[in-house]
Amino acid sequence: MRLDDWGRPGRRKGMLSRRTLLRGAAGGAAVSLALPPLEAMLGTHGALANGADDQPIFGVFFWANGTPWHAGHGAAQGGGGYPDLWTPAATGVGYTPSELLMPLAAHQVSVATGLEPKTEVPSDPPGQGDGHMRGFMVALTSDRPRPEGFDHPSHTLTALRPSLDQYVAKHDEFYGTDVPRFRSLVMGISDARFHDYGHWNAISYNGPDSLNLPVMDPGQLYGLLFDVPADTTSLTNRASLLDAVMADANDLRGRLGAADRIRLDEHLAHLDEIQRRLELSVAACDDPGAPAGSADLIEKTDIMAQLLARGLLCGLTRVFSFMLTSPATTHLFSNLGVADEMHKTCHDGLWQQVRDITLYQMQAFARFLDVMQATVDPTGISLLDRMLVFGTSEYGEGWQHGNKEHPVILAGRACGAINPGVHQRVPDGNLGMAHVTALRALGIETPSYGFNGGETSEDLSEILA
Amino acid sequence: MTHAREDERQRVRWVATPVLALTTLAATAACYDGPSREPGADGGDASATDGTETDGDPTDSDTDGTPLVFDPAPAVLPRLTADQYRNSLQSVLAPGLPAVALEPDTNPYLFFNIGATTTTLSELGTQLYEEAADELTHAIFGDPNARLALVGCEPLAPGDQCVQGFLEDFGRRAYRRPLTSEELLRWQQITVQLANPDAWEGLRLAVAGMLQSPHFLYRVELGEPDPEDPARLRFTSHEMASRLSFLLWNTTPDDELLDAAATDVLLTEQGLREHAERMLADPRASAAIQEFFAQFFDLGRLDGIARDPMVYPMFSSTLPASMKTEVQLLVNDFVFRRDADIRGIFGTRNTFVNEELAMLYGVDAPGASPISFVPVELPADGPRAGMLTLGAFLMMNAHETEPSPTRRGKYLRERVLCQTVQPPPDDVDTNIPEQEGEGKTLRERLSEHATNPACAGCHSFIDPPGFLFESFDSIGVFRTVDKDGLTIDASGELDGQPLASATELGPMLAADPRVGTCVVKQLFRHAQGRLEHETEADILLDLGDRFADDGYRFKRLLLTLITHEGFRTLAPAEEEGA
Repeated sequence: MRLDDWGRPGRRKGMLSRRTLLRGAAGGAAVSLALPPLEAMLGTHGALANGADDQPIFGVFFWANGTPWHAGHGAAQGGGGYPDLWTPAATGVGYTPSELLMPLAAHQVSVATGLEPKTEVPSDPPGQGDGHMRGFMVALTSDRPRPEGFDHPSHTLTALRPSLDQYVAKHDEFYGTDVPRFRSLVMGISDARFHDYGHWNAISYNGPDSLNLPVMDPGQLYGLLFDVPADTTSLTNRASLLDAVMADANDLRGRLGAADRIRLDEHLAHLDEIQRRLELSVAACDDPGAPAGSADLIEKTDIMAQLLARGLLCGLTRVFSFMLTSPATTHLFSNLGVADEMHKTCHDGLWQQVRDITLYQMQAFARFLDVMQATVDPTGISLLDRMLVFGTSEYGEGWQHGNKEHPVILAGRACGAINPGVHQRVPDGNLGMAHVTALRALGIETPSYGFNGGETSEDLSEILA
Repeated sequence: MTHAREDERQRVRWVATPVLALTTLAATAACYDGPSREPGADGGDASATDGTETDGDPTDSDTDGTPLVFDPAPAVLPRLTADQYRNSLQSVLAPGLPAVALEPDTNPYLFFNIGATTTTLSELGTQLYEEAADELTHAIFGDPNARLALVGCEPLAPGDQCVQGFLEDFGRRAYRRPLTSEELLRWQQITVQLANPDAWEGLRLAVAGMLQSPHFLYRVELGEPDPEDPARLRFTSHEMASRLSFLLWNTTPDDELLDAAATDVLLTEQGLREHAERMLADPRASAAIQEFFAQFFDLGRLDGIARDPMVYPMFSSTLPASMKTEVQLLVNDFVFRRDADIRGIFGTRNTFVNEELAMLYGVDAPGASPISFVPVELPADGPRAGMLTLGAFLMMNAHETEPSPTRRGKYLRERVLCQTVQPPPDDVDTNIPEQEGEGKTLRERLSEHATNPACAGCHSFIDPPGFLFESFDSIGVFRTVDKDGLTIDASGELDGQPLASATELGPMLAADPRVGTCVVKQLFRHAQGRLEHETEADILLDLGDRFADDGYRFKRLLLTLITHEGFRTLAPAEEEGA
């Protein structure tokens, strides 16, 4: 294996060859034509010196309750005669942003429209076609939700497999041997929740009943990233102590049933990660100072994004999940003059208010991207140049829980793997194409992705460079 | 079996009938879904044939002569809930520790204890445990008085007698059983290897390690062979100490209980009863039982509630907490102060109010202040009787701008009667018509539910009792007209019984055996940390019978459960791949 100056696998070359292979597998003969010029992959700066400019960053940005409904979502949704404020009128490069995409225009985000979940919907137990749960799970895992528990009042539901952020963070082809302090960071802004359990307050999963609840408190995020004790001896002791903890656990493993053994093994795997982190010991970043808090969603997005950006810049992680609002959010947008929480506002058919809220959520997304754009390394490369942010929601629209026209935004350049400012329309297209696109853009070989009817080998070919 | 018991059983078993009849009347897919739907069996309607094929020991029999068989389920592995972790640390380390951040609990099937047996700990949650152990042991071992109070002697050299004695003692409290020699050796080695700069530091790290061990963080209750029945296991005496303590105190066993466990006294019904009675008299039992009812009644949902003060002048930021306190005082009154039929909580006109609740209800409450609650009797001709006419229920089951008969009816069906309401069909419009709603009350707009066959199956089940609460707005204020000035019709029905108002519902619920079997089922789930298995149907049936015999007194139910073989035995672990 070719190693770079730091003794790491040659990521740039590796990435290129993987992409070559995968293009060959997926696209047939036109391999060399489909490959972007090396220059484009590197960005215009092409700075090889610091070794970070070719390390892509992947993130999920999630907002609740889709977009305002229109005829594209279905006959019922078209009944009100409301216009489509989401889909840009023209497709291709340099499209003119729609009203709701306008806040993101400065960052030349690419957008895919026409996509929808294709997973099967078993009839028993009932309710599995519900837009919130199906749309959310497909958007994040390319699979349907676990059927068990749907008919219980607590809506005990969960994912069947890892969400895309965790799939990437644990994929050998993403970090290789060069694993940063955190494989991923999981954050959230609004703590309003529809139900206490499961997907209603988390969008990042490792598997069934294994969720990564978002860090909501800027102070906690700050502590996690920057508050590293100076006393390295104590950290070393803490790390070696975990060997004894794991030895203690081993006696227990053999006595457990299969399901509990899996739970315990995951816990032990986490201990390995914690141990590794303690052994890395010294602080990796300059301390940006303890953050303030804010009850305003956009201000809080800014605060959390600043912390994340500092962490990304100094290499603490390259994967994140950012939940602005949780699925089916009950967040009360009283700042926009909305009297009821958002979920009910959708169901009450208050289109104008849903329009206002969606615009506001896009403004928050824009603020997030502003921070990433403004954070540049010494060679002038911004985080957004290296980043692929998969922006999505739980379904097309929240009035009827319609799953057609699921919103998909691909923001950032992913080190040149994503073409900016493209609108690709795929009528009735498989939502899984967004995942295939993201995975290929990140250099992860992906002949196809998706499960239980959601499988696809296609990517968004106009957006993937 | 006495005749009285037989009568009770007739009543208990009868209750499923009207509900099932309703199902057949429903126009479309059944809404209430009897015992087959949920993974476990449904208390009142067990299929008795299950039991006849097993070799369990019949101790009772059904009215039709079929013996009851108490066939237990396999072990689960609960991780301590956040409360249990914090409480246990107070118990094994020291009281008054600093607050530490932990992964929040999840509550599938309503209970944190079920989340504790199903949810996998996240990486961040693991890190928080590591940091908490480090921080808390620093807090104690950094204070010469506190560490001496904990350890009881001064370690003079790493691994000396003081250290060894402490590790044995602390280990027993943390692991809820004596350490094995291998474990003791492991932690002793830590005290030596990491004794830098001194023996105290080695000891601190050993404690920090034990607090991260799965033997502390999880309740390891896996059983031992049952000498009375080779086909099943029984919980060990120490495991019973743990089960008793987490159920009754929501924390780890105290020394007295661990001493009892060491003599195997907790393998006997008598021993269990004596210790349970002792523990029920302790304030920790009150806190633990309140926590059970808070999860059962969903009181956590009051925490995030906000209302526009312009629309609801009586709303205040303290009102949700006042409402929660009111329910807690009622629970305390029924369970501890009066030891009364717990179903009465749904029918009583007696309650406890502070100043703002007295205003909300329009009652005189001499002595009430913002922080003082006083007992009051709500007027006999007033609109309120029972918990479902009080603030907590009414406000948590309402939207910001209007109440929700559907949510209120659903809560009654699911929480109070333990019936299952199916989610709406996938292809149905679940929205309340708003645009055509001009001049119509919410009730009239919801009438679509009753006329559309796709909705009627469930909504004819949920809405009619839900309409009984239409006299109360989104924060629980009594009203005769809605926000648009339209006159409220708050009549309704429950299972074919017409009711003029919620005050007629309350006394009905207070005498309804279904409420009793529902309490049994919820307690069983909470105590076991899982749903009931089909094989356990007779256990629930028996608990329900005995609860009725005991006049539905909740503390009696706890004693019955704790001493019941269904709580003391378990099935062998399922083989891998089975």
